[in-house]
Amino acid sequence: MKSAFAIMSWMLVALFLVLPQTAAAQRDYYKVGVITSLSGDLATGGNVTKRGYDLWAQTVNAAGGIEIDGRKYKVELVYGDAQSKPDQGASAAERLATQEKVDFVLGPYSSGVTLAAAPVLEKYKIPMITGSAESPMIWLQKFYYTFGTIPPVNYTGASPVETLAALDPPPKSAMILGSNDTFSKATAEAFQEAAKQAGIEIKKFNIVPAGQDLMSFMSVAKALKPDLVAFGGHDEELINLVKALLQINYTPKALLMHYGVTEPAFVEALAKNAEQVYGASVWTETVHAKGDYLWADAAAYAKDAEAAFKVPADYTQAGSTAAGIAFMAALGQIKAAPPLDEAEREALVKALEKLDIQTFYGRLKFAEEGQFYHANIGLSPLTVQIQGGKPVIVGPPSEAQSTPQYPMTPWEKR
Amino acid sequence: MLLLPQALVDGLLIGGIYITIAIGFSLAYGVMHIIDFAVGEWIMLGAFLGLYLSQWTQVEPLLLLPVVFVVFAVLGYLFQPVIHRVLSGKKGNPLLMALVFTFGLAIAFKGLGLTVFGFFSRSIPSAMAADSFTFVRGDFFVTIPVIRLIGLAYAIAVTLALSWILKRTDFGLAVQALAQNKEAAGLMGISAKRTNSWVYGIYVGISAMSGVLIGCMFSISAQMGGKYTVFSFFVVVLAGMGFLAGVPWAAFLLGMVQSFFLIYFDPGYTLLAVFIILYAVLLISPKGLFGKGV
Repeated sequence: MKSAFAIMSWMLVALFLVLPQTAAAQRDYYKVGVITSLSGDLATGGNVTKRGYDLWAQTVNAAGGIEIDGRKYKVELVYGDAQSKPDQGASAAERLATQEKVDFVLGPYSSGVTLAAAPVLEKYKIPMITGSAESPMIWLQKFYYTFGTIPPVNYTGASPVETLAALDPPPKSAMILGSNDTFSKATAEAFQEAAKQAGIEIKKFNIVPAGQDLMSFMSVAKALKPDLVAFGGHDEELINLVKALLQINYTPKALLMHYGVTEPAFVEALAKNAEQVYGASVWTETVHAKGDYLWADAAAYAKDAEAAFKVPADYTQAGSTAAGIAFMAALGQIKAAPPLDEAEREALVKALEKLDIQTFYGRLKFAEEGQFYHANIGLSPLTVQIQGGKPVIVGPPSEAQSTPQYPMTPWEKR
Repeated sequence: MLLLPQALVDGLLIGGIYITIAIGFSLAYGVMHIIDFAVGEWIMLGAFLGLYLSQWTQVEPLLLLPVVFVVFAVLGYLFQPVIHRVLSGKKGNPLLMALVFTFGLAIAFKGLGLTVFGFFSRSIPSAMAADSFTFVRGDFFVTIPVIRLIGLAYAIAVTLALSWILKRTDFGLAVQALAQNKEAAGLMGISAKRTNSWVYGIYVGISAMSGVLIGCMFSISAQMGGKYTVFSFFVVVLAGMGFLAGVPWAAFLLGMVQSFFLIYFDPGYTLLAVFIILYAVLLISPKGLFGKGV
């Protein structure tokens, strides 16, 4: 009796082990893993990437799915919450690879989480495109299975400094600081390098703890009087820096941040005090980009995004949607129906490396070698400035839609 | 050297913020012996109530502080029996259970915040947030942001008010009696349940009001609670657990350390410096700066 019970138990275990594989073998849709931060300090950006991925999936499915050899396959997103922590991002990658057996992965918000998740996906040979991770360190690791649609900060960070340096008269001195996380440090370093190249004197350069109250530090700015204050940080920190400058009553001639100023929350939180803040971006809803996939241009995407989420789309959301489009285009080229086996995933990586397409987000072309290995180098870095409550492109001159407002209007005269 | 006066003023002003977030926490621990890990989340909820109320009524958010206090004091008063139930359990370790309970509460409030308020960072628009006084003498200058000055005044006012209530009122005597000996206080006719409810209500109300002030100075978000919980814990441990009078001094010390490190040393090591000082003080005096903690 006991042995019969044991045999039955083992058979049940074996059945459970076999069942998911059978289900996977019969799957007629793409199972797409999504690792992003839906909670924790980076939940804002994480949820923006989620919107981008969701919009891609909804639009693809509404069109019937991804077409392979005349048949359309829908996509199903499976989420793993990284909780804004790299270790949780790695755990999510492990779960998506081993339990969910996803075909490919749409990657995390933030560079730290991407750096933790990428080695896990390398181990399981699962391609990932991250829609929002911008530290140059990711691409220096040369992960074979990891790609990114948003160029690294050392590719884009120089643009706003160059725009400022071309002004007449240009800023002569700068104070540069960055928050102590992978992306923000890299941003501050990119600003520093660009300022040096442009001949701007750097009066102070510091990395500060993430979430630090910066009022005292801005007292130093008030004493040093740099023309330019440049800061690498995430959305919450950017708002806090502007509030610290307001409280200490120091208006630099130019205040430069990075991508974060294009997030609608930045303008909403600061209202008139967000005006004239500079940032760097690769996409706004007014950028001249014509797409061959899903959306005809940036404006069409922006319209759909606004209708879906009731807030304007920013570069993070657009870059995340573009990550889905890149997979879609590459799958169409290799003609691999779901589920993907190891050889097909390898072919997918090769196809991504050769991909060169036009989308609503701009050109997608991943570098095949060098310091930007597998990062998107198809886009032009843009300088944006908040004007009239919206990010407006003010540089480089070939892309500018408005002239830079310089110097900034003092806080008390707003 | 030019920035010395500014560093001193900034230290006091940062200390003021620390008092606002830690004073209620210290009171709750002193009386109920509960480490409330949800303190940061009460601050977050208060901040959002302040934001929505000011948007709805178009009234200066600082004028809404009493309303926020009343709403959250009532909430805290009604909620305390749940914690009392956990704390007065006969099985296991009730103190540990209460710790886990408040930790769970913090996670639940954070989740609730993310669902209801969304994930974007917000800011409470106050007319006072952009004003400041600047004093210049030669190359020296001191800028005092009005909103921070209000924060410091609020912190001192709350400390004095709590001190007066504890020392001059029957309710305060009952609270002190409970903190010293729960059983003996009960024998003297003091209801531990009701008094604790009032104390928890006052603590939650103060924390929520602090949230509104914080929202005028910094950005707010559903995830903001964690760091304020950590800092209030730092201050209360440094002051001596439950020793209310030590809170302002501990808060000013941490504020000064932070201000001087940001201005004169490497800002990257600010939090490390705060932690080393906390560690050193606890090593020499485990019951806090004044040796009067529980």
